[in-house]
Amino acid sequence: MDSPKKIFKMGVIKDNPVIVQIIGICSALAVTNLMMNSLIMGVGLMFVTGLSSFTVSLIRNYTPKHIRMMVQVLIIAAYVIIVDIFLQAYMPEMSKALGPYVGLIITNCIIMGRAEAYAQQNPPILSFLDGVASGLGYTIVLLMIAFVRELFGFGTIFGIKVLGDWWTPWTIMIMPPAAFFLLAIIIWVSNTIQEKNKDVKKGEVAK
Amino acid sequence: MKKSFIFPIIFMVLITAIFTFVLAFLNQSTAERVALNQEIELSRKILYIFDIKPPSEKPEDVLKVFDEKISSMPYEDGLVYVYHGDEGQVLGYAVPVSGPGLWGSVEAYVGISHDYSTILGIDFIRHSETPGLGGRISEDDFKEQFRGLDLTKASDGNYIIYRPAPGGNVDAIAGATLTSKSVSNIINEDLHRFLKERGNS
Repeated sequence: MDSPKKIFKMGVIKDNPVIVQIIGICSALAVTNLMMNSLIMGVGLMFVTGLSSFTVSLIRNYTPKHIRMMVQVLIIAAYVIIVDIFLQAYMPEMSKALGPYVGLIITNCIIMGRAEAYAQQNPPILSFLDGVASGLGYTIVLLMIAFVRELFGFGTIFGIKVLGDWWTPWTIMIMPPAAFFLLAIIIWVSNTIQEKNKDVKKGEVAK
Repeated sequence: MKKSFIFPIIFMVLITAIFTFVLAFLNQSTAERVALNQEIELSRKILYIFDIKPPSEKPEDVLKVFDEKISSMPYEDGLVYVYHGDEGQVLGYAVPVSGPGLWGSVEAYVGISHDYSTILGIDFIRHSETPGLGGRISEDDFKEQFRGLDLTKASDGNYIIYRPAPGGNVDAIAGATLTSKSVSNIINEDLHRFLKERGNS
């Protein structure tokens, strides 16, 4: 049985979906030109990943193995539609800003990845936490990329101007290629750090 | 797990039915709210086009002002909104315009004065342009430029011309040339059609 602490540590750091597993990068590249977009996308994904993992896990013992993927897709799609309906009804402003991104959540491989890799073998509550943790890891990486892109691309953070008029926006930052560079740099840096940590730990054990 | 042929089918049908039922229920129970939200949204935009400021941004105030000042009449497939003054005289029209943008269709309303001589304002109802680039057409800085543009001087239906072209009257969005171009085409074409139909009569 995994402890919640371990689950979060895995989802956010050690097994971060974007920078370690390299999944869900399609949307990580697409929506990170503004921090607000990234945050909304991240929260939506956390909700969907958590609850779909929970549901998949709940019915895992009754689901025939060979149709489980069909069932998972159905569950994920249903939750994404629920998010969409909820936003339209109660947060119309948010729904407007989110627009096409809500539908994009369905195609995010993190959700199905967690359902397959974790929820299929573990009890519901843990699966829920696992989904939320992965979603959180994804959100953090998105916000990191979006921070750099929005800062250099617009001179703003969450739409608030932080760099003065003297700043010349770098158009490349708003364009998709910038996300590629930044994502690669983040993966590089974090892998280097994680490798180092591993070495240190090994060294300690050896002593 | 049972290795039967029929069980997976029943299971799938059952689970689909359950989720469809839940979604249908949610959709049904929020339909009214969603429709109301959309109505408020549209009312806000029409008021913005005519530069009418409701006493507050609250939905009730917006709808009240909208009901007092705006009426609608059918035009082509949609509606033209008519702006009435206090004595019921017509002050302007909001004409629906639409066409292809860079990524998807763009729908907007253009407000023109009652004598068809100037643009009162413009707002976008729906578009799917890139946020931060083409999506900036729905920002105030871009939309405000259209207020008070003279329609009578334009030739061949070129009402919107981007600077620095000769006769330019509006600034395009930097980094979103194609979206800007689509917007001017859409407005020029649809407005021309409307003015030809009404303006000369």
